Amino acid sequence: MSTVFDFRGAPGTGWSQPDPISSEDNPIPEGLRRKILPNWPRASEPELVRHYTGLSQKTFGIDTGFYPLGSCTMKHNPRVNERIVQMPGIDRIHPLQEESQVQGLLSIYFEMQEMLATCSGMDAVTLQPVAGAQGEFTAIRCIQEYHKSNGESHRDKVIVPDSAHGTNPASASMCGYQIVEIPSASDGRLDIGALEAAVGPDTAAMMITNPSTLGLFETDIAEASRIVHEAGGQMYYDGANFNAIIGKTDPGMMGFDAVHYNLHKTFSQPHGGGGPGSGPIGVKDHLSRFLPTPVASRRESVEDDPNGVGDGYWYFWEEVGETSIGKVQQWNGNAGAVVRAWAFYRRYGRELERMSEFAVLNSNYLRNRIMNPDADVAAKIHCMPSEGAKADLVMHEFTLSISPIKEMNGVTGKDVAKRLLDYGYMSPTLYFPQIVPECLMIEPTETESKEVLDKFAADFHAILSEDPEIVTSAPHTTPVKRVDEVWAARKLILRHPITDSED
Amino acid sequence: MVDQIPNLGRESEMLGELGMSTMDELFANIPEAVRRTDPLPLPEPQSEEQILEDATRLLGANVHLDSRPSFISAGLARNFVPTMVPMLATRGEFLTSYTPYQPEVSQGMLQAMWEFQTMVSELVGLPISNVSMYDASTSAAEAITCAVRVKSKKAAQPSSVYISELVPPHRLSVIENYTQGVGIEIHKLPHNADGTLDLGAAASATGSCAVYVEQPNALGLLDEGLMDLRGAIGESTAIIVGVDAVSLGVIEPPGSWGADIVVGEGQPFGIGPTAGGPIYGLFACSKEFLRMMPGRIVGQSIDSEGSTAYTLTLSTREQHIRRHRATSNICSNETLIALMGAMHMALLGPEGLEKLATRVYSSTCKTLEAVTSIPGVELVNQGGCFFREFAIRLPGQANEALESMYSDGVIGGVGLGNWWGEMSDCILVGCDEGTTESDISALANAIGNWIEGGSE
Repeated sequence: MSTVFDFRGAPGTGWSQPDPISSEDNPIPEGLRRKILPNWPRASEPELVRHYTGLSQKTFGIDTGFYPLGSCTMKHNPRVNERIVQMPGIDRIHPLQEESQVQGLLSIYFEMQEMLATCSGMDAVTLQPVAGAQGEFTAIRCIQEYHKSNGESHRDKVIVPDSAHGTNPASASMCGYQIVEIPSASDGRLDIGALEAAVGPDTAAMMITNPSTLGLFETDIAEASRIVHEAGGQMYYDGANFNAIIGKTDPGMMGFDAVHYNLHKTFSQPHGGGGPGSGPIGVKDHLSRFLPTPVASRRESVEDDPNGVGDGYWYFWEEVGETSIGKVQQWNGNAGAVVRAWAFYRRYGRELERMSEFAVLNSNYLRNRIMNPDADVAAKIHCMPSEGAKADLVMHEFTLSISPIKEMNGVTGKDVAKRLLDYGYMSPTLYFPQIVPECLMIEPTETESKEVLDKFAADFHAILSEDPEIVTSAPHTTPVKRVDEVWAARKLILRHPITDSED
Repeated sequence: MVDQIPNLGRESEMLGELGMSTMDELFANIPEAVRRTDPLPLPEPQSEEQILEDATRLLGANVHLDSRPSFISAGLARNFVPTMVPMLATRGEFLTSYTPYQPEVSQGMLQAMWEFQTMVSELVGLPISNVSMYDASTSAAEAITCAVRVKSKKAAQPSSVYISELVPPHRLSVIENYTQGVGIEIHKLPHNADGTLDLGAAASATGSCAVYVEQPNALGLLDEGLMDLRGAIGESTAIIVGVDAVSLGVIEPPGSWGADIVVGEGQPFGIGPTAGGPIYGLFACSKEFLRMMPGRIVGQSIDSEGSTAYTLTLSTREQHIRRHRATSNICSNETLIALMGAMHMALLGPEGLEKLATRVYSSTCKTLEAVTSIPGVELVNQGGCFFREFAIRLPGQANEALESMYSDGVIGGVGLGNWWGEMSDCILVGCDEGTTESDISALANAIGNWIEGGSE
């Protein structure tokens, strides 16, 4: 297989640059000077354009096809957002420029802070965290400082349900907390009895997402908040599943004290093969003095102000003060992601709840289609999956268990996932949440049409009707066949050896 | 009227199949006590045309760095990014893919990241690289927690880490946030009057888990003495070095003088300063740290027919498997920006990198010469060798000088009083490959004007 290191053109011919502005510099001291240049490829633009185009064609994105990856909210990424972030007013801006030079950016930051606070029922928002996990970490740090300021540093435990995203316990653990994992109830929902037994004078916080990773709304959430607050703990809302509830309810109403948002899920910042993300957090008033610094703020313009953006306000960075936890990213977060999310939110405005409505409609529609095949189709299916959680309704996502099929003919969840790749789909999230055996977690999002959902259900049924041998040996039509992950972990070939070098 | 929703207007038909007639029925499981009844107090939806118009107006109100001579850097580069880079990186397959959990349909991105790891490894002189951290500061912070996990059991100072006192406050704050919870004690390493690290004092770090230094340091100074750091602190302490990635085209990579972990800002390769993000952190290390390192790693593998393939590997370190015992909570990273970095690096090639570094170095020398020849301007670290930035002391308050320079049409740099109160009369001047002779004249004139205008 060819790699970029196969390009071995003549030295210095690949891509031209202007010469240095002076040839009479003080030379770099001999001891500091690099002796051997890095063994990078020697390639020209035409070669690299073809190389990377080829690699893109071996990569599956939302643009390629349906991407029902549960908990990841793989919705369409509007293209105008990409056009906007190429503008020099964001691409060529330095975070330490004076406020008078970045009034437009500050106004977008301010508008986004206000919008996120409004949608979540929080009082203050920071856009500094650059990923969901960093948002979790930031909020738990704020909660930690809050307890300290109350003389309650002894609170050293964070409670998470066993269905929580792995980042929840990992983030709390990085802050120094011990993790108390509570089991879900038999219907997959939060077990209030288990929570009551887990809270105590050592409880710092509970971290939970609602709807849960099973796609179920936690109907006892207000009660859970009461229990945790009564014990002196804080309630943290993991916003990974925020796409399900905007305009229908909000974390503030549910009793949460802090929340993170995934701008790369709910607000369509493209995932880019693993990032960048953006993970702002919102908090209630009592936590706002601990937020990372600074946040965007504004006041009414006065006569001496330089030109602003023409809305009658002067925007500025407001330091949070001595109680702030400081910085979690060295600048002001992923501004490019914030601007994309701003453009996305402007598209919906007060109609943001349409987004959640159609996300939940698509999810329930697809679940119904999959679980209730027509009689002629059902007759051909060897065995149906079971529902990950018994429920009349789901929210934006749902889970299936492939266990019954595995028991009958040995086809696992992973086999079904790999076979879906042959049909031109990305696999659903596999084996998560861990409380559902052989789990497939499916999230269609609002940007898929009924036709796509119908076709996916039909193809899913076709897989369940196929010779199990075909399914267990899938995928068959992808650029490579099933990849041996154990081999990779054993051999640990983590870079190109570049042994064919002429240097 | 919103768009982007293909099923808009067809909800009755779909609801009908579920035996429902209204959207509200879908949300029946939300108890009334927590149900929102009033509409969101937000503006009307906008069309693409209106959004673009507002974005153009608002972002057009910002003063961008290419619009006038600009000398602001502090570790971010006003770089030139080859046109090919954003055009290819925003191909939909790259742009809209998720973390490559299904390697069979993600070979392109996986291979590109494996190639990225290789180029970073070559650049810094260490065998292993991950596919990116959030930025230089989180890379530094997680390098420290990683080093402590590896070294603390056998260390004489099992919870101690030593950090250069010239690490800028925003980075130090990130480091403190990431280290406070796991009980790491941060000690400061002093510098000499000329800005170099005090190697004698650095001996106090012997037996600790790690030292963290920067090359060049926050004031742009290249410190040859760092290459003797290993001798000063002994074999058992990890050396973590924060680098200016471009500088490694002309100066020795830390991997060749004893560094165990190299971190830094990747942004100069691949993307503009972007108001501070998305950028990406480099993270490379020696084998000793592999199983304790944070972030995604791509490994070469084979498929069921024995063909070469790529996949994420060593996932057992990560949060989605190891949960609270994970080496880091990082999940989303900066892959797309790292991809842009890989494209930029590949286009430069070895000689292109050297030339880029030489251009930045040359701009720095030339700017320094012009600025320090102005009467009243003093170089903070006399006699030093600088890359990308240098600090000058002025006869008055830096913030006032910067304001005056801006009114002369020049973005003059970063006022260092915001970092260190005692340096309120100092400016950090940043240069790059795009700095021109006329930029330098404009800067020198602007400083001269301010001084002549009665700064004192």
